[in-house]
Amino acid sequence: MKIISCIKPVPDPASRLVINEQKTWIKDQDLTFVASEADNYAIEEALRLKEKHGGEVVVISMGGEEAARVLRSGLAMGADRAIHLLDPKFKGADEFAAAATLAEAIRKDGGADLVLAGVQSDDLGTGMTGTMMAEFLGCSHASVVVGVEANPEGKSLKARRELEGGINEVVELQLPAVLTIQFGINQPRYASLKGIMAAKKKELKVWSAADLGLSDDAVGKAGAMYDVNEIAAPERKSKVDIISGTPEEAAATLVEKLRKEAKVL
Amino acid sequence: MILVIAEHKDNKLKPITSELLAFAQHVQRDFGKPITAVVLGSGIGAVVDDLKAKKIDRVLAADHELLSEYNPDSYVEVLKAIIEKEKPFLVLIGHTTQGMDFAPRLAVALRKPLIAGCVEYEKQGDRLVLTRQIFNAKMNMKTIPRGDLPFLATASPGAFPADEVESGGNAAVENAAVSIGTTPRRKLLERVEAQKGQADLSSAPIIVSGGRGLKQKENFNLVFELAEAIGGSVGASRPVVDAEWLPREYQIGSSGQTVSPKLYFAIGISGAIQHLVGMQTSRCIVAINKDAEAPIFKIAHYGIVDDLFKVVPALTRIFKDLRQA
Repeated sequence: MKIISCIKPVPDPASRLVINEQKTWIKDQDLTFVASEADNYAIEEALRLKEKHGGEVVVISMGGEEAARVLRSGLAMGADRAIHLLDPKFKGADEFAAAATLAEAIRKDGGADLVLAGVQSDDLGTGMTGTMMAEFLGCSHASVVVGVEANPEGKSLKARRELEGGINEVVELQLPAVLTIQFGINQPRYASLKGIMAAKKKELKVWSAADLGLSDDAVGKAGAMYDVNEIAAPERKSKVDIISGTPEEAAATLVEKLRKEAKVL
Repeated sequence: MILVIAEHKDNKLKPITSELLAFAQHVQRDFGKPITAVVLGSGIGAVVDDLKAKKIDRVLAADHELLSEYNPDSYVEVLKAIIEKEKPFLVLIGHTTQGMDFAPRLAVALRKPLIAGCVEYEKQGDRLVLTRQIFNAKMNMKTIPRGDLPFLATASPGAFPADEVESGGNAAVENAAVSIGTTPRRKLLERVEAQKGQADLSSAPIIVSGGRGLKQKENFNLVFELAEAIGGSVGASRPVVDAEWLPREYQIGSSGQTVSPKLYFAIGISGAIQHLVGMQTSRCIVAINKDAEAPIFKIAHYGIVDDLFKVVPALTRIFKDLRQA
């Protein structure tokens, strides 16, 4: 099976995020970028499917140096090769433009039996891009996947989807297919030192919008379907009673309030 | 027109449908557009009757045997035809595991914007501006869809209160012409109820829940100790379960258990909306977190902004002393 796993670079979760002057995004110049957490589960699932069924795992990412960085970590985990979508024109893409660009790159690479992506990213976090790719590629998909059982000979796959309220559903898909992988499906491996060394020798293709045959208005900000009006910290609506003091004092005050004021003890 | 895609199960509307209708009724008041609810399924008379009783203008029923189970391919095909014919102003869909399974495909098929995970909206002139949460609810992003109408939006569960939906209407019911030409590439094999383990929290009066702020598995003892001292049950947020600190059955939130105890402690839980929808109806919520900006403080009644590794042991000591007294 040929499996392509998509990785989105996002600011390290430990970063302090500051909104830019135009209030359209965060100041991202000086941040450290890592793979979006759900994408690590997707890469791990891709590697496990390859270990079971053979084939190759290709990692793909869009962006500048931060994308090259997450691709190197994917290669170090064990992916066979990487595709870096690098072009200033890709900047400012929304989910729609990103899905269109990724789908075109997958097509240019000769397609895949299976395309994996994390269920949602740590930045925009809406869980759209993977499923949108399936429509651009004209193939089947399943979202919020917590279990995969592939049958490459039968060109099919069983995916377990996580629904609300602790219910799962098992669906059968025709390959090729796109899956969006839920957190917790596996325990992603760490790259070994050997893996990191081996990654340096692996193939890393770099493609621009022109390489993909995509026009300027189809990619990046120009290809997006919405504009950002404003980014802001959420307004505080509730009248939460913040209890101050040393930890001991605050704990004592809290217990007092729970007993006398809220009367829940 | 505002088109609301109803979600239903076992001949009943799901709560998200009432939330979408409440959202639509707000938009209707601001923009003066009629509301049509669309329902897809097979043998959906009871669901149509429920929708008819809400204060909306019209129910459009797409009743077809091939729609008896949800399938993204059929949903996209049927809804695309309906939207192209009806030319709505806005299409509202639930930000659920079903809604988000087909809405992105539908948006691409229509080449129209989808604003996913909306929590608020506002009217700016004659424009509808939709707000969604980004960076795990640390920030809000206001978005303006581009191009010609319609645009699609999914609403986060819990963002628009279901009890605000107005009833008392007598909507006209119409049957939508349904033609399904393509064979679905996806087939539902089975649906399984996850097992309820010993951690059934639905009737627990006091729950002490821990999150990622506890940093590692061993530290979860702090949560167990506090729960024991206060006589409560233990719960967890999703990252804790994903990291295998605790089994899945302890998870509280949209993909775990929904709880409503009289007292809920959120310890080191930032408060992603997926967690909030599972516990926000608790009578009294206490949040302990060193990040004052954490969204959990928006719904908490009492908060302590400090190091949980100092506050929680102090609380445990007090409750132990109270017990002995």
